Amino acid sequence: MSSDIAIRLEGVTKRFGEHTAVRDLHMSIPRGCIYGLLGPNGSGKTTTLRMIMGILHPDEGVVRLLGGDPDDIRQKRVGYLPEERGVYRKMKVLEQLEFMGEIRGLARKEAARRAGDWLDRLGLGDWKEKKVEDLSKGMQQKVQFIATVIHDPELLILDEPFSGLDPINQDVLEDIVREFHRRGTTILFSTHLMAQAEQLCEYVCLISKAEKVLDGALKDLKAQEREGVVAVKFDGSDGWLAGPEVASIEKVDRGVHLLLHEGADHQAILRRGVESGAVIHHFELVEPSLHEIFIRHAGGDAVGDAGLPRDLQRAEAVS
Amino acid sequence: MRNVFVVIRREYIYRVRNRWFIVGTLALPAAILGVIALSAMSEARRSNRDRVLPIIDHSGVLYDLVAGRLPSSFEPERVATTPEALEEVAERARERTISGYLVLDAETLTSGKATFHGDHAPRTLTRIRMQQAVVRSALQVRLSATDSGAQVEDLLSGGEIDFESVSDEAPEEGAREIGMAVGFAGAMVLYMVILIYGMMVMRSVLEEKTSRVVEVIISSVRPWELMLGKILGVGAVALTQVGIWALAVTLLLTVGLPYLIAFRPELGNASELLQYLPAVGALVIFVAFFILGYLLFSSLYAAVAAMCSTEEEAQQTQFPVTLLVMIPIFFMSSIMEDPNSTLSTVLSLVPFFSPIVMLPRYLGGAPLWQVGLSMVFMVITIGGVAWVAGRIYRVGILMQGKRPTLPELWRWVKEAG
Repeated sequence: MSSDIAIRLEGVTKRFGEHTAVRDLHMSIPRGCIYGLLGPNGSGKTTTLRMIMGILHPDEGVVRLLGGDPDDIRQKRVGYLPEERGVYRKMKVLEQLEFMGEIRGLARKEAARRAGDWLDRLGLGDWKEKKVEDLSKGMQQKVQFIATVIHDPELLILDEPFSGLDPINQDVLEDIVREFHRRGTTILFSTHLMAQAEQLCEYVCLISKAEKVLDGALKDLKAQEREGVVAVKFDGSDGWLAGPEVASIEKVDRGVHLLLHEGADHQAILRRGVESGAVIHHFELVEPSLHEIFIRHAGGDAVGDAGLPRDLQRAEAVS
Repeated sequence: MRNVFVVIRREYIYRVRNRWFIVGTLALPAAILGVIALSAMSEARRSNRDRVLPIIDHSGVLYDLVAGRLPSSFEPERVATTPEALEEVAERARERTISGYLVLDAETLTSGKATFHGDHAPRTLTRIRMQQAVVRSALQVRLSATDSGAQVEDLLSGGEIDFESVSDEAPEEGAREIGMAVGFAGAMVLYMVILIYGMMVMRSVLEEKTSRVVEVIISSVRPWELMLGKILGVGAVALTQVGIWALAVTLLLTVGLPYLIAFRPELGNASELLQYLPAVGALVIFVAFFILGYLLFSSLYAAVAAMCSTEEEAQQTQFPVTLLVMIPIFFMSSIMEDPNSTLSTVLSLVPFFSPIVMLPRYLGGAPLWQVGLSMVFMVITIGGVAWVAGRIYRVGILMQGKRPTLPELWRWVKEAG
């Protein structure tokens, strides 16, 4: 494993009974990047992260971490924020963070100092001695985020880190993620919010229905996909828009985006439009959004819920 | 190993600071103190009305003897047999300045009967004391007619059955009886503490599992470290509590009891209890069985919690384990009856029952080698149980959803590598 890859998944498959949650997934996460694992609910994101964290064991394939024994590396060098926010509800905030720091190898005093700094920075300075259960949900989430990063990990694995936060706190969290990125931390996070990923990620992996749809550097993907989306503004009937070249039609601000199939001839659409008598004001190949890329490759139905109910997944998590 | 200490510390501080721990720890000494204080207070408030006992002696020979035999909680008062004096004492009883008065007559000398005149019947204990004083005094008068005074005196103040052992091993009978009683109390404390703290381990594991905190912890702490730290942490809490109780009881008995006796002289015999307080040997055995029993059952409770996802599920699943703790209690009366019967011996050597059965048996005269043997059995069993429970725990804590069936459980044990 080359030293510039932080996490590598090789042919990883996880089944829960009859249902396959992740199928033959290959993924390479370069060191020092922000990597987004994207997909709709139930597509296998959480299962993938749980396998990386060793909470689940893949039925097939291997997970490699920072080129060493994954158990050792997870112990001190990884920060993991699970999707289900787990905290000791009856513990005091500061003590909880001290404990989390200590089990990751910090001395208690050092853990307390860092916890104090973080709490001040996130506006929770007055809550140090309060029990976690007395905090609001958003505050608890911040506490858990601090617990995730208190030992200054090399690798941050965040499962839906932004869900449940208000826009202001989402921005705060985004800033912190960028800051870790500047310091060289590798960050892998999952989200179903394409817009967020688009702002933050350098690399993405899109998965749908347990399988990878595509992955790579975001700017490469966008360059590849440049021929894939046409922005159209027109007056008149819209019957001419649909055709064999068009995968789906998205309404945007003023007009529509046509997402084209791979290798489709966009000039054919234009000709059809002119022949139909529509008045076409604007017809331009545009850089597609992540959302559009995703739909082009996975199909519109992939956006819907594609997985098993969560409880069933868990019930079979270990069997 | 460092992680184990970090986990122990968290568990210990978190639990010892808990309000219920503090309440529970103080409740027992407070209750004992309360009983002592109450009985001392009620004694202090006992007025002359209850203490003063006018005695009308129509026989003419009994008063001094009876008055001398009454315990010091009575203040006997001789009443002359003049009609005025009789009327006056009856008046005092009607006005309730005294609770009553005792009448002795010629018949008392023949049948030992006497009459208490009062507004209500005297308490049983008071009655027995008056009865003893009266009957013995009557006997003394009758016997003195034929025998020498000293002989009669000796006879009347005697009346003990001494015990002499026919073997070298058996302890003195009185000590054995009290030892058994102390052993029974010890067994009940062990039973309670093992249950309470075993369940505390169960709830603690369950809390981490249901809150999913365990998913974060387990990436940094190995499952066996977490389980061991938790069991030792809660165990330290239990030792703290039992230690405080033991200290409080000892203080109350050594400092509080003499104080109580000072107020209630009739409890003077209670000071004899002190000499039967468990010797160092019994105390060591108590602590050893507490530690062994706690380790055994807390591992089982940890495994139970790891299998379950909700409090209700855990309440159902823990039943077989709790039953295992309770079984010796069902046999307690037969064990107390004969601590060295075959049944008692066999029960005490079953590792799951030893912690509760062995202590009363030891105090009831069971040989030390049996105590040692049961401990060896227990250590071996704890090894096996911890191995199995550790594997169930390791798989179970990361599993959510339905409880495993027995075959599934067996697969966990086999496959948790």
